[in-house]
Amino acid sequence: MSAAGQAGAGDRPATAPAAAPPDDLMSALRALPSRYPQARGALLPILTRLQEWRGHLTPADMRLAGELVGVAAADVFSVVTFYTMYRQRPVGRFPLGVCRNIACWVNGSEQLVATVRETLGIGPGETTPDGLFSLEEVECLGSCGSAPCLEIDSCYFEQQSPVSVKALLARLKAGAGDAAATLAAAHADAAAELRRARDGRP
Amino acid sequence: MENYLSTEFRRATPLFLEEARAKGRYRTAQRVFETLTPEQVVDEVKNSGLRGRGGAWFPTGIKWSFMPKEPLKGPSYLVINADEGEPGTFKDRQIMEKDPHLLLEGILIGSFAIRAETAFLYIRGEYKLAHDTLAQAIAELEAAGILGDAAFGTKRKMRIVLHRGAGAYICGEETALLNSLEGRRGEPRPKPPFPAVWGAFGRPTSVNNVETLANVPAILEKGAAWYKSAGTAQAPGHLLFGVSGAVERPGCFELPLGTTARELVERWAGGVKGGRRMKAFIPGGASTGFLPPDRLDVPMDPESLRKEGTMLGTGGIIVIPEGVEIVDAARVFSRFFRHETCGQCSPCREGSAWSDQVVGRFQRGEGRTEDFVLLDAIMRGSKQRTICVFPEAFAGPLGSAVKHFKDDLMAVSARRAAADAGSGAAAHGTASHG
Ligand SMILES: Cc1cc2nc3c(=O)[nH]c(=O)nc-3n(C[C@H](O)[C@H](O)[C@H](O)COP(=O)(O)O)c2cc1C
Ligand code: FES
Repeated sequence: MSAAGQAGAGDRPATAPAAAPPDDLMSALRALPSRYPQARGALLPILTRLQEWRGHLTPADMRLAGELVGVAAADVFSVVTFYTMYRQRPVGRFPLGVCRNIACWVNGSEQLVATVRETLGIGPGETTPDGLFSLEEVECLGSCGSAPCLEIDSCYFEQQSPVSVKALLARLKAGAGDAAATLAAAHADAAAELRRARDGRP
Repeated sequence: MENYLSTEFRRATPLFLEEARAKGRYRTAQRVFETLTPEQVVDEVKNSGLRGRGGAWFPTGIKWSFMPKEPLKGPSYLVINADEGEPGTFKDRQIMEKDPHLLLEGILIGSFAIRAETAFLYIRGEYKLAHDTLAQAIAELEAAGILGDAAFGTKRKMRIVLHRGAGAYICGEETALLNSLEGRRGEPRPKPPFPAVWGAFGRPTSVNNVETLANVPAILEKGAAWYKSAGTAQAPGHLLFGVSGAVERPGCFELPLGTTARELVERWAGGVKGGRRMKAFIPGGASTGFLPPDRLDVPMDPESLRKEGTMLGTGGIIVIPEGVEIVDAARVFSRFFRHETCGQCSPCREGSAWSDQVVGRFQRGEGRTEDFVLLDAIMRGSKQRTICVFPEAFAGPLGSAVKHFKDDLMAVSARRAAADAGSGAAAHGTASHG
């Protein structure tokens, strides 16, 4: 996958809350409204880009997004609270999302949550003290045919088991220094592994 | 009929433009742009009998014929619904991740048919890989001059705007999707006006599902008669059926409409996992509810499933094995719908929460026979009393659990009550969230 121009988990500023978006991000954001017949159409893409960069959205981010599309901050806040992918609080470098819906649940998603709990000591809604991992239960990811699925920043790890999740967590922890690269590499390997498992079948 | 939707699904990497053109992609779109009129395209699609794959099964050609035909004062839009969020559904993702140009060619032809020069492709936020794949494929088309000010060298302008959602099942409902595309909360709009009159940014709009549009190039290439040679009389063509849950080989299978659930589960998906017995199956995504295994021979098409009191929905079969209790599976759904209601209509907001509480009671061993009356009242009190059909969706699993598994629900509740009384503990493990 070529994640052209998309900031990943590792590119977040260390001093998140105070930082303002860098110039290149700002010019990318300013270019978005003209893609739509009405500037407001760019609101979600702008919020998404801001969150990809910072990891969550601050009140200043929401004000900025509002200014860029000509909408009051209160209106932006009402939009942000509607969508589950927008976060208003920092999460871990690797925000784990385990699907809890039907196909994943039938295939053992609760064991994945239990594995994370045993390995990292966190449950849904919690973040590890070192700020590396957080956990959330999410709804159907469209990965029901390769259940159970765990996602990290929208990178899918499919057909997972307690064993594979343990290995994944260890690998991410070891490579946390360069979170984005570690995540991308782990994701590529998981996709290849899934392909191998599937190609072998009749 | 040979497969025409899933030919590239087993690839490791997406089929990009050079290889796609070598396989004949865009020849049909080019012929459409160069030699046909929009009316001719709409007529061919009408004659083919193609019906929308997003779940409502509305005839696509008829939907397109509602769009303005005279050049009006402003633009018309095509909006592609790639929000795929119905639990048990994962077909649109396969198309976008493996064969982006199949969808994009369908978008070009669909835009031509409704005289739209801009298409907005609304893709759910979690589908980042599909988004990045499509972004690359669209850039290829721009570089090749297929998109731009002179599409295929004709006088038509054509552009495709990729738009990511941000996590909300309701945004799959077409008018909620339009609000979300406009940068608002994803709340469905009252209809009328329908999108063909007042759609995206106040302009006439046709909203079509990804798989629907992926059918279009083959129809224009091979003709309506060819298309009608597969499937049923009222629902022709192939469908990307999903089979997930407790089966040996879950996956996405391209087969004619009207294929039985038994053939899908037993032949294509290898049967119930571990040789277990089947407790129930869900024919077409969460909102279609549970059916007992004695209905496995029902053909998977909209009309046959309607006769069973359910729907084909998205064609995503989910298998629930023996050993999993219906009440626990129903709770997964009631919790989901409670979480996903947009909350603007009180019957839906309250009804989804109340029904989740009632299912929770059964799950904890506190079910009472009068709760069935209550559930029925909640469903009747919310259906057809709201802006969109979300209550019909949450009533699917609820109503079917009561209809087909009433005794089972009572028995499990009684058993858990007895176990609680015996042990004094309240641990049932599975999916109990208060
Ligand atoms: C609650 C709800 C969720 C929906 N989700 C989707 C979806 O994820 N994808 C989709 O294509 N259609 C979805 N639909 C159906 C759309 O409203 C609409 O009928 C469809 O996009 C039209 O395209 P089609 O005619 O090609 O099927 C949903 C409908 C409802 C009521
Ligand atoms: S149920 Fe988990 S991805 Fe669909």
